[in-house]
Amino acid sequence: MLMQNPLNASESAFPVLECLHIIGFAISVGTIAIVDFRLLGLGMLRQKVTDLNNDLWLWTLAGLIIVVFTGLLLYSSDPDMYYLNVAFLFKMACLSAAIIFHYTIHRKVISSDASGEYGKVVACLSLTLWASVIFGGIFIGFVNAGL
Amino acid sequence: MILSLCQWAQDTSFFTAIRGSWNVYPVIMATHLLGIALFGGMILITDMRLLRWAMRNRSISDVVDQLRAPKRVGFLIVAACGVLMLGSKAEEYYYNIFFRIKLVLLLCVFLHGIIFRSSVYANAAALDRAPKIPGRAKLAAIVSLLLWTGIACAGRAIGYVEPPLERIHAGLLHGGLPMVQSVENQRSVR
Repeated sequence: MLMQNPLNASESAFPVLECLHIIGFAISVGTIAIVDFRLLGLGMLRQKVTDLNNDLWLWTLAGLIIVVFTGLLLYSSDPDMYYLNVAFLFKMACLSAAIIFHYTIHRKVISSDASGEYGKVVACLSLTLWASVIFGGIFIGFVNAGL
Repeated sequence: MILSLCQWAQDTSFFTAIRGSWNVYPVIMATHLLGIALFGGMILITDMRLLRWAMRNRSISDVVDQLRAPKRVGFLIVAACGVLMLGSKAEEYYYNIFFRIKLVLLLCVFLHGIIFRSSVYANAAALDRAPKIPGRAKLAAIVSLLLWTGIACAGRAIGYVEPPLERIHAGLLHGGLPMVQSVENQRSVR
């Protein structure tokens, strides 16, 4: 029995999911940004990086879960279109890289409390990856359909 | 009068160039979203600290005072992108109900900042000394979160409304809103 995706049956489902998606990445990327700005020495200098990270990692994880979950639902509303959209593919590549980078090299740098040049490079790379994810997301609606 | 101002603004060569280029407008919008991502989280953490839901190990003054400057820089970036996008499609935004709602909410946020500044946001040290976080601070935090969430949602909703500009210009519609003098604003159809 073939069912229509319930998300496409409702007019407001997609916009609501998008708003949740935006809130999710504000939470996750925002908290990652606070830690990265600390690594770059641009803010929150009263705390050590490890302390900041201990305070915020749970929020980051919650935000990422919201983002990925709403993202999957959004994708399900029109899978073929997204699959063939070059901006979406770019976004997914950057997202995978960003998540992997965040939980490996980035986490190691934070726990070793690196405050030197290496920490700054890692922070810049982290911010660049997450910014690329966001840029990719916006361009989904602006690139031509089909690869 | 505002309508004429919008039409004049979007016809300037600067804003026409933005509107006409295929990649400038999305880059501006993406920067707008990036600003929301980087700095929206800071607004969230500030308000969550006032509610004792985040960063409990840090004092309120540590969180509020240190995030103040980055939040302002972030707001400037986001607002600048917003102004650029507004200028390039000013007439469409004029007719867009969600853009108007967003402006009203922004005004509310501005008022919220004035109302709660002296008792909450500039008063972090006193909030730390208090045995319990006062209700006023929590109220400020909740209202702030609701307003900013509303702003983000209204902003996203803007893209879902497409004012029928050709029909408005042809005098067939009055823009769905009162006060639009479509007669004196008849122009050649785009």
